[in-house]
Amino acid sequence: MAISLLFAVSALTFGAMNVLGDPLFNILGPIAGDTGNPKSVKLIEKAKKDYNLDKPIPVRYGIWITGFIRGDMGVQFSTDGQPPVTELIKERVPRTVMLLILGQMIAIMLSVPWALFSASRADKLVDRMSTATTFMLVALPSFALAVILKYLLAIKLGWFPLTYRARDPLRSRLFQMVLPAMVIGLPAAAIYQRLLRTDLITTLQEDFILMARSKGVSKSRVLFRHALRPSLFSFVTVVGLTTGALIGGSIVVETVFRIPGIGSTLVEAVLRHDFPVVLAIVMIVATAFVLINLIIDIIYSIIDPRVRR
Amino acid sequence: MRTTERSARRRPGVVLGATLMSFALVASACSSDSGTASNGTSGSTSGTSGGTGASTAETTPSTDAPTPVSGGTLRYGLEADVDGLNPTSSALSAPGLMMANTVFDTLAAIDKNGKAVPYLAESFTPSADFKSWTVKVRPNIKFHDGAPLNSAAIAKAFEAQRSAPLVGLAVKPFYPETNAVTIVDDLTVTFNLLEANVYFPAALATQLGYVPSPLWLDAAAKDPTLNQKPVGTGPFKFDSRTQDNVTRFVRNPDWWGGKVYLDAVEFYPVTDAANMLDLLNNGELDAMQTTDQTAIKELKTSDKVTSVLDDTGEESFVMINSQKAPFDDIRVRKALTYATPKKNYLDLIGLGISREADQEFIPESPFYNPAVKQEADEPDKAVALVKEYCAEKPENCTGGKVNMEFQWSGPSVVQTRIADMFNQAWSVAFNVKFDELNQQDHIQQTALGQYNVNTWRQFGADDPWADNVWLLCRTVSGISLNWPRYCSPERDTLLLSAQAEQDPAKRVELYKKVVQNIHDAYTYVFLTHTIWANSFVNNVHGACDHKSPEGVELKCASNGRTWFDTVWMDK
Repeated sequence: MAISLLFAVSALTFGAMNVLGDPLFNILGPIAGDTGNPKSVKLIEKAKKDYNLDKPIPVRYGIWITGFIRGDMGVQFSTDGQPPVTELIKERVPRTVMLLILGQMIAIMLSVPWALFSASRADKLVDRMSTATTFMLVALPSFALAVILKYLLAIKLGWFPLTYRARDPLRSRLFQMVLPAMVIGLPAAAIYQRLLRTDLITTLQEDFILMARSKGVSKSRVLFRHALRPSLFSFVTVVGLTTGALIGGSIVVETVFRIPGIGSTLVEAVLRHDFPVVLAIVMIVATAFVLINLIIDIIYSIIDPRVRR
Repeated sequence: MRTTERSARRRPGVVLGATLMSFALVASACSSDSGTASNGTSGSTSGTSGGTGASTAETTPSTDAPTPVSGGTLRYGLEADVDGLNPTSSALSAPGLMMANTVFDTLAAIDKNGKAVPYLAESFTPSADFKSWTVKVRPNIKFHDGAPLNSAAIAKAFEAQRSAPLVGLAVKPFYPETNAVTIVDDLTVTFNLLEANVYFPAALATQLGYVPSPLWLDAAAKDPTLNQKPVGTGPFKFDSRTQDNVTRFVRNPDWWGGKVYLDAVEFYPVTDAANMLDLLNNGELDAMQTTDQTAIKELKTSDKVTSVLDDTGEESFVMINSQKAPFDDIRVRKALTYATPKKNYLDLIGLGISREADQEFIPESPFYNPAVKQEADEPDKAVALVKEYCAEKPENCTGGKVNMEFQWSGPSVVQTRIADMFNQAWSVAFNVKFDELNQQDHIQQTALGQYNVNTWRQFGADDPWADNVWLLCRTVSGISLNWPRYCSPERDTLLLSAQAEQDPAKRVELYKKVVQNIHDAYTYVFLTHTIWANSFVNNVHGACDHKSPEGVELKCASNGRTWFDTVWMDK
């Protein structure tokens, strides 16, 4: 199922990319349109042959997918040489992965205690204020949040650096990622909080909770030991689904904070009609999405062993 | 605040920013920097033909720290990154030329008077008819990879550039098909030109004059990733590069030109000028380059930086394709010129920072023709001309107005603002259709003549002959560097006579006629002289102390680029 899905994504993206523009312009620049000049025509013919552009789209797709399966993602379409896509991807993926992991960590670490806090004070003033905050975070577009956080925490307070420097030591780079990770982590935290809070409130009304309380188990112990685990089902599902959305959010964040990851690379590649790069990134994101959801399925069975049956 | 305003020429970023740059790159092979020539004597052994530097009153930004110290990393913000750093194949824009200045040296350099002087070269010697120039390089210079700098390396670099599909477009029109460069001995080559050129050495101070390692060129031909890892003879060696984030060069301890102070130079592309300014103000950058008017306004009044301001380079203008209807009719070109809201442009886009342009020369240039003024803001005249045209050619008109398309490079807030402003004014006589394209498509369509009207930035070579590539009939073709595709045999005669003219006074007169000719063709509506700012925080010194090996003081900034060998930082 997952493999069919990936094939479908690759075929659709490949088809779309080939309909949207002529890659020859990316390889040859304006020479690709200079069809009245015999010297240019020679270059055009050579480029078509070199990059299989003289073959029908299904054949080109076959060549590309075969290479991709073998780990060869093709070459970048650039007028300044055609370096391998694999090199670019290898360099850029780790940064986006680091950003997403940090973002999810912030989201999870913030949302769980926040939801427990709100659920235990449901419908009180603090809960209502908390709800308003979550709505605000969800409603705020990521570029606006990026600008606001950047201005407050980096420019005004100077707590964080304004930009990411790819050649700094890992520790510095991790620190430079915190602010961008907050930009993608805070809205996610708000979503997780809303969901977990609701599930917790429902769970807290279950009989086994009443039983525990009547046995004299403390309120905090009931929350952490008895209510949290059965309330995590939807939470885990959304964490998995949101990862895909976070990859989308990383496009804005990477651009604002100058992080050369796959989000900003994808935008650049789309604008330049650099098809092999777009295809590679789309496939990586799709594969990651499938894998994350497989992992979520495994986590379900850990949270609730009944799922295995 | 210490603001050093210079006059060299520049090009503003309002318009296409990187867009043009890319093609300026193409052209920079022959155009960008060459000095503004004038008093030309051609040099035999060491000097060259000369530049006039017209308006290039340059000043050193900082002289308050007399004793240079070694060490430190200069973090430099640039408006854009570049695709590659191979001067023989990459069309280097201003940011690319900045990076290239660390790792490569040019055969010639432009002095403070706009005259080309030897740099990597030891001498330039013209033939009696100025149709060939013999260039001898200094002995015992080595590339960063250990290869020797010799005549074979120069010939290889030239031929690589000439044969490059894109960069070569700007080189080919000036050289014969064969024997364009011949090797005389181990250190000497002869450049053979199609026409006499008294000012040829100025071309060797541009991208054409960079000499990369021949070993690296061979390797890069096989492995394109090496285009990102340049090897030259310059004061800094390539260290590392993460595209779109940082490119780092480290000191070359064995630089032939002497001591280099900085440990390293790092270039950070930051496309948003306000963002770059924040980085500078927050101490995350030590220097920045910009053409953004708002940023320049702030930099000019900042007491934290020293700025080198230069508007002697490119001009910003509206450009008209003279080969495509309806603008193949001069009446329509004139009408668009008259309808252009130049006053509003100067106020709202120029922000009082950029100077008004009437032609491709600034008023301080000896070539400036005071008789030529750029018409604009006369809608009544536009309406009258369009009425006449539409009566004759109704097929190109709707509702009594001429149908046209306006193209620009986007997405860009400023460009969109410009488009709206122009549309409002042009609409008295034109039905304007907008066409916003990404930079690459914009350049390609312009090169292929697939446009009516656009906004562009160009001219401003250190020597005006290097702008010939944009103006001659021979560069009108399928891919045209004469973007408006306007051929004037009279203009060709003037341009070629001017480059062959040794008498400065006569040369000035020839260029004044060129200015008139360009004006009369109505293919450009000149708007502003682009201003470039290179700003340095106050502990950075020596940006304008660049000298030739013979001790000649060199131009501090040229079309946005500065040099790094003399730059040093206080601890």
